[in-house]
Amino acid sequence: MSLSSRSRTPLALVAKPSRRDVADAELAQGLVAREDWAMGETWVRFAPMVLVLAERVLGSKPDAEDLAQEVFGRVHDKVKTLREPASLRSFVYSIAIRTLKSELRYRRLKSWLSFRDPADLVDFRHVTEDVESRDLVAKVHALLNRLSPRDKLVFVLKRVETMTVEEIAVAMDISESTVKRSLAHASQRLTRWLEADPALGQALGTQLGMRSE
Amino acid sequence: MNHSNHAETARLDAVAQVLRDAVKPPGGAELERGLRALRARERTRPRVALRWAAVAAVACCVALGFTVAPQALRRAGLATAPVALQRIGGGTVLEGGYLSEAGHDGVELVFNEGSRFRLSHGTRGRLREVRSDGARFDLDHGSASFQITPNVARHWAVEAGPFVVSVQGTDFTVAWEPTSERLEVRLRQGRVVVSGPVVGEDFVVRPGQALMVDLPRGKSEISVARPEMNAPDVAAPVVPPVSAPPAALPVPSAKPAAPPSASASRGTERRFRAALANGEWDRILAEVEHDGVDASLRTLSSDDLFALADAARYRRRPDLARAALLAERERFPSSSRSLDTSFLLGRVEELRAGGRPAAIKRYDEYLARAPNGTYAAEALGRKMILVKESQGPASARQIAEEYLRSFPKGSYAKAARALLEQP
Repeated sequence: MSLSSRSRTPLALVAKPSRRDVADAELAQGLVAREDWAMGETWVRFAPMVLVLAERVLGSKPDAEDLAQEVFGRVHDKVKTLREPASLRSFVYSIAIRTLKSELRYRRLKSWLSFRDPADLVDFRHVTEDVESRDLVAKVHALLNRLSPRDKLVFVLKRVETMTVEEIAVAMDISESTVKRSLAHASQRLTRWLEADPALGQALGTQLGMRSE
Repeated sequence: MNHSNHAETARLDAVAQVLRDAVKPPGGAELERGLRALRARERTRPRVALRWAAVAAVACCVALGFTVAPQALRRAGLATAPVALQRIGGGTVLEGGYLSEAGHDGVELVFNEGSRFRLSHGTRGRLREVRSDGARFDLDHGSASFQITPNVARHWAVEAGPFVVSVQGTDFTVAWEPTSERLEVRLRQGRVVVSGPVVGEDFVVRPGQALMVDLPRGKSEISVARPEMNAPDVAAPVVPPVSAPPAALPVPSAKPAAPPSASASRGTERRFRAALANGEWDRILAEVEHDGVDASLRTLSSDDLFALADAARYRRRPDLARAALLAERERFPSSSRSLDTSFLLGRVEELRAGGRPAAIKRYDEYLARAPNGTYAAEALGRKMILVKESQGPASARQIAEEYLRSFPKGSYAKAARALLEQP
């Protein structure tokens, strides 16, 4: 099939001013004014952060993509309530965390009403082609899914995202002592389950040993 | 720490490491596709104020409907039901909307208002969302034809790779080959709007036309579609192309189909910016190490130094992050962002074991130089937290009071109030 190139059409290219350098505060003002460039730049700047966090929590790339759409929709709706435009990053992050919390609660509720565990249907093929690694990731997510939504989120934010207790408390709108309690609870339960599954413990050790070599 | 505590920590660290390693940052094409979807969604989604107005209008209509509408509808025999999936032929819908083909005849989805999706054999796709006013379908691979019952109040969208095909009432076929990144949209009747790379925003395809986009070559083509297109046919060629009217042609995009990678844009200014936005932190670090850290710190632009510092921070390499920020400060002392280095150095110091005193010093430095700066609230909040952790709540109370005076609605205001409420 021959493609008739449109390159024969005379072009007049005008370089748009770059918005990549604008500060978060200016970006927030652009969002409030519903300017198109601001929507694009907000996505480019913060979507990687939201997508990675969501995939780590949900274990599924498509679900993470759906959640990111929801998060940025909410950001556009609620940006007018942002009192400090410079803290746009924290604003986006906290909306992402709250949306994730709602999603986890919804999943927990759905799992009670369903005969099948939703985790069984998650496709981990995007993670790696290595079957053993994929299996390990699936097992780790299955383990985390046994935690309550709050415990799971706190565990991931603290251990995987290496946020401080204070940052988690602010982002999740709960007290620091609740964060600490939740983290301790999650850690105790995960440790107990890992002890009860020596094969998984061994696989974790082997996998990490291979990576560190 | 005793042996069992150590083993417990190691196990939990291993779990965290598996989760961390399992997720790769999104690539440029994924981000581009996400942004297209977001724009399409925002176009069709009413704003908050409009939604409240719609809620009020709906409430009025419902009130009215209870009295007048039932009789009128009964008389007219009409009722506008929300869109719902009525029947699935040739397969099943799995969790998440993924379609599983049972035989070799493809899958057919029939909606209650008459719209139909027909996926040809071997096509992979996902019914992403069914709303009361339409549905969204993701075509992962293969071809599918769509017959949408005309209704101006409804919105249907088909996503194929980075492209979004928005429709109302129409009859068309979409084919998408992810390996060759070729899109084909053939329209039998109605009107569809395609958005995506190369074609730009809101490219209209008219009845009898076929749009083909070759993403790797950055080329698009409008041709007259064959009349016999009742079944999806991806590989079949179309008749020689006829140029669309100039007014309908979008200007070919000057930008490449996908954002340039860090290495692709080597040698240009701000080469790391796109890589950072795409989460390609390791690539930035690898490139700097390949070119030599010292040489890079001497030659990188101001923007790249900030990007390098961010990448190093995200990858927990405080020494490299600190070196990049100090290089920025030394080489570009009068730049507008030079002030920010003090704050960012504070964040880097926090990553180091025992780095709290140095971090507090950096935050003090930033607050002295930029008391109303971009990061002033964040710097004061972080300082309050660090002082509380290192010197106790009593020492941090004064900072908490200062924070609440300056930033009563700041993100650390809650923590500050909690601190002041402590006995």
